[in-house]
Amino acid sequence: MPTLLELQRAMRASLLDRNDGPAAAMLADNVPADRLNIYRNTFLTGVTRALRLSYPAVHRLVGDEFFAGAAAQFITQHPPQAACLDQYGADFPQFLKCFEPAASVEYLADVARLEWAVNRAIHALDMAPLDLARLAALPPEDQSRVSFVPHPSIGLLRTDYPVEAIWRGVLGGDDAALAAVDLTSGPAFLLVERRVAGVEVSRLDPDAWRFAVALCEGQALSDVFAACPPSERGTAEARHEVWLAEHLAAGRFVDFRLAPRNAPALTASSEAVP
Amino acid sequence: MSPVAASNPPRPVPAKAGIGLRFQHHQAVLDVAPDVAWMEVHTENYMGGGTPLRYLDAIRRDYPISLHGVGLSLGSAEGLDAAHLERIRRVAERVEPALMSEHIAWSIANGTYLADLLPLPMTEEALAVVCRHVDQVQSYLKRRILVENPSTYLRFQHSAIPEWEFMAAVAARTGCGILCDVNNIFVSAHNHGWDGSTYLAALPPAAIGEIHLAGHSVRALPDGSSLRIDDHGSHVIAEVWALYREALARFGPVPTLIEWDTDVPPLDVLLGEADCAGALLASAGQEAHRADAA
Repeated sequence: MPTLLELQRAMRASLLDRNDGPAAAMLADNVPADRLNIYRNTFLTGVTRALRLSYPAVHRLVGDEFFAGAAAQFITQHPPQAACLDQYGADFPQFLKCFEPAASVEYLADVARLEWAVNRAIHALDMAPLDLARLAALPPEDQSRVSFVPHPSIGLLRTDYPVEAIWRGVLGGDDAALAAVDLTSGPAFLLVERRVAGVEVSRLDPDAWRFAVALCEGQALSDVFAACPPSERGTAEARHEVWLAEHLAAGRFVDFRLAPRNAPALTASSEAVP
Repeated sequence: MSPVAASNPPRPVPAKAGIGLRFQHHQAVLDVAPDVAWMEVHTENYMGGGTPLRYLDAIRRDYPISLHGVGLSLGSAEGLDAAHLERIRRVAERVEPALMSEHIAWSIANGTYLADLLPLPMTEEALAVVCRHVDQVQSYLKRRILVENPSTYLRFQHSAIPEWEFMAAVAARTGCGILCDVNNIFVSAHNHGWDGSTYLAALPPAAIGEIHLAGHSVRALPDGSSLRIDDHGSHVIAEVWALYREALARFGPVPTLIEWDTDVPPLDVLLGEADCAGALLASAGQEAHRADAA
């Protein structure tokens, strides 16, 4: 008599790897083995639907059949590990990047990366924005030691293609906008966040994007400033103040910490993608 | 058996008809404030923040809420996913549900979530695993939960316990309640040649905390027979209404939910189904009252 663990591993092999033998051997005499198909189909269609909901623009770009085929391969290689399908599919952009049949759509993986950031923003936990009075109460000498904790919905990504324009055009069904997209226009520096009305994607100036990345990584204000080339420090301070004020007004941080006094300056990682 | 703290929900679910609340109906429910006694949501759909929780916060001001989990995998031989249990606890803390329920099924093996309510072998080993996990959940959440009978399309060779006895044993050993899904009983009874009335008669009336009703589909098989598939995508059929009447006669009036999860119809259609259940609940209530008076 198989143990419960043996039975569950046999069913997993049937549903995920299409290896029906072990599970079929455990079925009651008058139960045909093709009943396993019902469960396999429910699993595959359910998880494929979850991917389609997280990657609607990729789905529209490649079509139903192609998407289902790519999803089936992806699901076999990276099956869900938790009963929380809203958080499933983080590896799909990387999978698409290496998925030979999709190679002709060079920007597809970048669109998927944007959609994953959007999906994360949609489902991020609710957190109250930083109370600015707490920041204002700091003695002036401590203000430069502040390092911020970003809201969990914030995503910052640099893409090789103007994917926010492609994404908007595809989801809006706007063919004219899509025709106007210039794939050679160079990298896009994007900010994804959830506002009250929904998720917003905006393009940032490259320097403003690098500043946001540094702050969201938890670098102290003084370190971000110190990492600027000396020749730019004159203008950098003023720009940093403007950008920081924008972030604070938009509620992009939920908390802050104070870096140790006289800490050595960190090196800014300008291209990091959280 | 673990000690189970009596839950003290702010708004109990009455022995009336409720509806499964889907995202499509969030705005309509706020707009029309339908005349329905309570609502149930899938716990897993409210584990993030943002819009869904904002709607539920608004809706639960006017309706008692039941949290129905679909992913805890009470029957997993490898143990419960502690992170998922904690996610459920967080949703419950925020939503303050009147009822919480899960399934007699499993969905996780070898670290893979198989995204379905898979059938358990009806064995002493599986019964012990389920009971241990129900104990664990009830002590973690500090409240009683309900467990739902499954709909199944296959049986295992080594199953030794009738499913209805398995259900009754889980309730008796853990102190949990039973969410009696009448449609699931009808579907499984058809698929396996059981008798739905025998099933109902074996369930302890005092443990029944909720009833589910839903539609299902019928698939013709090559040998001329048919398989019934629990897809929650249509009206409750006449035979299931009949079995529901029988359930009410045995259990008395119990909170009853209309589930409709695929091809979700306009809110009015769901409310119409709930009205049908409500009428049967009302007459069951009068019967129970007469029986008490006699």
